[in-house]
This record gives sequence, structure tokens and C-alpha cells, in this order.
Amino acid sequence: MLGEFEYLILSAAAHLGEKAYGAAMREVIETTGGRACSLGALYTTLDRLEAKGLVETWISAPTPQRGGRARRMVRVTGEGALAAREFYEAVVRISRGTVWAESRRSRLAGDTA
Amino acid sequence: MRGPGVARGVGWRCIEVAAELLAPLDREVVLGDLAEVDRGAWRALEDVLGLAARRQLTHWRNWQPWAASFGLALPASLFLMGCSVAVSGAVVRLLEEPVQPYLLWVCLSNISLLISWAWIAGFVVGAVSRNTLWASLLACCVPCLHCLSLWPGHGLSSLRLLIFVLPGLWGVWRGQRELPLGRRRAAFLAVMAALTPLMWSKGGWMYGSGLLWPGWYLAATARRKQE
Repeated sequence: MLGEFEYLILSAAAHLGEKAYGAAMREVIETTGGRACSLGALYTTLDRLEAKGLVETWISAPTPQRGGRARRMVRVTGEGALAAREFYEAVVRISRGTVWAESRRSRLAGDTA
Repeated sequence: MRGPGVARGVGWRCIEVAAELLAPLDREVVLGDLAEVDRGAWRALEDVLGLAARRQLTHWRNWQPWAASFGLALPASLFLMGCSVAVSGAVVRLLEEPVQPYLLWVCLSNISLLISWAWIAGFVVGAVSRNTLWASLLACCVPCLHCLSLWPGHGLSSLRLLIFVLPGLWGVWRGQRELPLGRRRAAFLAVMAALTPLMWSKGGWMYGSGLLWPGWYLAATARRKQE
């Protein structure tokens, strides 16, 4: 089972697709996920996910907007996608019937009406 | 993404200096990320130091740094200081008394045992704790400085305690670079390591025999490399 931050990283990488790398993933986690993300936490978690076979990472060619420095690109593997789906489904299942899930559902229903 | 705003000035210099704590690949990637997104020098410095601290913590989850610093560097520095005093005593005796084959033999064998063992200990520390060498060096320096502060002599006389430092550092240099060691040479050094405790005539061998493992580590890893 994934940890919460591992799930956020997998989701950010999946969102960004071909453009997933450290700085971009941090931006997504902080703006969309709404939680602070240090580079230390990001890269050590990425190492852990890579060791588990849930992501693949490689070093890209250097780019001028980074002062001629390379990026560590990230791709979610099939196993990673499966683990993220299991985590997501578990969260949805366990949240059913809770106050926060129900209030969200009625809010969404109000929006569509 | 706001472009390379942070990547200049004194703040950026500080970040680059702090990034020296990271491995070359981490440094490249993290400095690139920080140059790309300007979040201010403090936050960037926090990021670099945070990653360095996390990397160190990861290393310390393994047995190697503990074995190298507290199982070898710390006790070995005490042991080797004793051996250094024994060697310098043997040299002084040789210089002060008429040359006798026995004294010459004791002196030469003590010198070669000291050099071998210091080299072996340094090699194993360098090979086992490549990423936490600072801790092993600290564990070696603290007892040395303590003994130097208590040493009754002054100036050159206190160097008698530290004869082992040069061969030890040579071993560290070699161990860090993973230069392969032939099986015969490793076996020879392991035997020398086993003989080193004999330099202590008054029970020090019991303490020294607890430090035999670097010799066997050397022999074992040399064999593995050849296979």
C-alpha cells in the first residue's frame, strides 16, 4: 500500500506525463495538491518509489533555462499506475458515508443542477 | 515557473556551496530545479540542506556507517595511538643503545605492523563508509585530540602518538576509490592485522584482537572481486 505522499507524487507524475520532473512535480503538488513539498522529501520519495519499481527516472539533456543543468525525468510504470489506482479506490471506498464525502457529493450535485 | 531569478548573487553562491554536500547527480538536478523556479534564497537553501540531511539519514539506516565509525575508527584510533607510542619507543631504544639484531628486528617488525594495520583500518573505513566518511574521521579525531591534550610532552614529542595517521589516510584514499586489491596482498595484510595485537606485551593484545575484523573483511572482499 502506498503512502499519501507517494500517491501525490505518482499522481503529479501521471498528470505531467512526458514533462514530469522534480520542479514541475513540486509545482503541481503545491498548487493542485495544496500541500508544501520540499525537494528533499520529493527526491527521497522518488528514490523509494523507483526502488519499488513504481516509477522510472532518468537524466535528461541540460537546458538553458536551468542554467545548463539537467533534469531528472520521471515516468510512472504499469506497477505504479496499479498501486496508485488501488490506493485511490481504497480511499474512495473508505470515505463513502463519511460527512466530508457526503457534503462533497451534495456540493457537486448542486453544481450540476 | 518564473525563470532563473534566484541563480545569481551571494544567496545563490551560498546555495551552490551548500549543494557540495550532495552527490554530483543530485547537485546537478537540484540546482537546476532551483534555478528554474525562483522561490527565494532561503527556501532554496532549506531545500538543499533538507535533501542533504535526508540523504545522510538514509545512509545511517545501514550498518556500514556505524561499523566504520564506532566499530573501527573510534577504537582503532586508540589502539593505533598505543602502537605508535610502542613504535617510537622501539626506534628511540634502537638509537640510544648499541645496535643489536634483536632490537633491530623488534623495531622493523613494529613499524611494518603499524603501517599495515593503519592502512588496513583506513582502507576498510574508506570502503565501508564512503558517504559518511566525515563521521568516521570525527570518531578518529576526537580520541586523538583528547590524548594529545593529556600528552605530557610538547611539540614534536606529541607527534609520537600520530605516526599512524599517514598510512591510515593512504588506506582511506585507496578504500574510497574501490581500487581492487589482489587476493595475495589482501591475505598478507590480513595476517599482518592478526599479528598486530602482539605489539602489546601487557594485555593490549586482548583489546587489539577485537579489531581483527578489518583484516578479514579485506580478505573476503578481495576474494569476491576476483570471482
